[in-house]
Amino acid sequence: MSAASQPQIIEPAPDSTALLPAVQADSATPRSPRLLLGLLPIGVLLVGFFLVPLTIMILYSFWRAEGFEIVRSWTLENYAKFFTLPAYTKVLFRTFTISAIVTALSLVIGYPFAYFLVRYTPARWQQLFLVLVILPFWTSYLLRVYAWMSILGDKGLINQALMLTGIIAEPIRVFLYNQYAVTLVSLYLYVPFAIITLYASLEKFDFTQMHAAADLGATPWEAFRNVLLPQTKAGFITAAIFIFIPMLGEYATPTLVGGAEGALIANLVVNLFRGFQFPQGAAITFVVVLCILTLLTALQRYIRVEELYRR
Amino acid sequence: MTSSMTGQQRIRIAFIAYGILGYLYLYLPVLLLMFFSFNESRAGSLPFTGFTFKWYRDLFADFLVIDAFWNSLKVAFITSILATLIGTAAAFPMVRLSFRFKEILRTIFILPIMVPGLLIGISLLIFFASWLDMSLSLGTVIIGHLVFTTPFVVLVVTARLLDFNYRLEWAAADLGATPFNTFRYVTFPLIFPGILAGTLFAFTLSLDEFIITLFTIGPESTLPMYILSQVKFGITPKINALATLLFMSSIVILVSTFFILTRRKGR
Repeated sequence: MSAASQPQIIEPAPDSTALLPAVQADSATPRSPRLLLGLLPIGVLLVGFFLVPLTIMILYSFWRAEGFEIVRSWTLENYAKFFTLPAYTKVLFRTFTISAIVTALSLVIGYPFAYFLVRYTPARWQQLFLVLVILPFWTSYLLRVYAWMSILGDKGLINQALMLTGIIAEPIRVFLYNQYAVTLVSLYLYVPFAIITLYASLEKFDFTQMHAAADLGATPWEAFRNVLLPQTKAGFITAAIFIFIPMLGEYATPTLVGGAEGALIANLVVNLFRGFQFPQGAAITFVVVLCILTLLTALQRYIRVEELYRR
Repeated sequence: MTSSMTGQQRIRIAFIAYGILGYLYLYLPVLLLMFFSFNESRAGSLPFTGFTFKWYRDLFADFLVIDAFWNSLKVAFITSILATLIGTAAAFPMVRLSFRFKEILRTIFILPIMVPGLLIGISLLIFFASWLDMSLSLGTVIIGHLVFTTPFVVLVVTARLLDFNYRLEWAAADLGATPFNTFRYVTFPLIFPGILAGTLFAFTLSLDEFIITLFTIGPESTLPMYILSQVKFGITPKINALATLLFMSSIVILVSTFFILTRRKGR
């Protein structure tokens, strides 16, 4: 989008850069060290309202709550409780399981769709087709969850349709307020993420390689497995991370369609904070953050966040 | 559809069918939501008992939603302007200078995007309410929104600056332009679409944000807070009406942005 709207500039040959840095010392050049001042506001913002609060939250997780008071004595009991209390471990396990399932299914559903966009939509209109994927994103996130309440609910579309056709006499309550509903609705929210990210990596792929593979005797499956898949791996991993991580903190979906049976970590944490159990809530949040940071560090070399916005 | 079809054609048809199904999947729930905003029945579902604007009248009679709407706009407006200024200022040194700790800074910038909003909300709640003993307000909401929208602006503007040919700036300087004029007449017009995209991005993100808001808001309400409080206990066709209006207005905004950006290209 942005690349197209920029006036055409004739790019000099790459090696010509070597000739130019002589001008650099002048303050009128774009490399003036005064530009460093630009980092000041964001530094204040992110240190003051992100890193410092984060550190304080970590401190709280090692303290205790007595009623509405925070007692500043060091303890590990918040962590011990989180990993031993069955009520907590169950939610922890459920959150990771559902997040993994949603991530995997989003990729499986999104990949053929991204392939369809790259290969089977007319090149002239491809951007439009892509925008159409993003468009439902522009409705409020909560409203997209709500849309499914009116499909799956007691008086929802499925129940009404089943009753009108006489298959059932009374509404059945299996569709809403369980972990399947959470999985189904989360999937709806995250499939577009998968499509967009996978599209970005498929679009760069040179499909003549597939013909080459076929000419050399590869079956379509072999060509897919050995040529296409390895080259779009980074896209897969980026998409997986961008789905799995927000899923770990997902709050709206379990709150609206999960019921008690489908509650996730975020519900647990919100409830603890409502009950002024700040240290316990902080400890749980910190564990989740540690998991996320471990994941990000392990997969760091595959993630190119900037790439996603470079179009 | 006979055996005379080649394997290639069959694959093609399968993918196109999949594509159509995919769009149905993405759009049907939203379209149904909008459709039932005109249904007389309170169930927000079948059967369709009659056409009505009742739910829209209900919506506009609800002063809570009007109030929440203005609060949301206020927060999104201030957030997007500040995020654009802070983010654009940071994008320049990140692209054009090399300095120590740049990689660490880059990681810190990306972190608020990567961690769930839940974390930002909770740490700010502890920080404001418990540590500083401050009262929460729309101001604290704006701070929370700035923390996660500013990095997005940095990313969008950075992408734009990477594509920017800064020899144009040298040319301007050689021709006698002051640094300010170079920025005013050369740099800014060229990166403007990127900055505008960043602003719009921040605006939409802020408008739709609710988990950070949930933790940092005081007695006021924003639109997502209002929606959450209404739909928590089931179907309210009033919310279907709200959904229809929001979806329509976001399409209008999207289409007009598209036209603004393409008109610039034509110059």
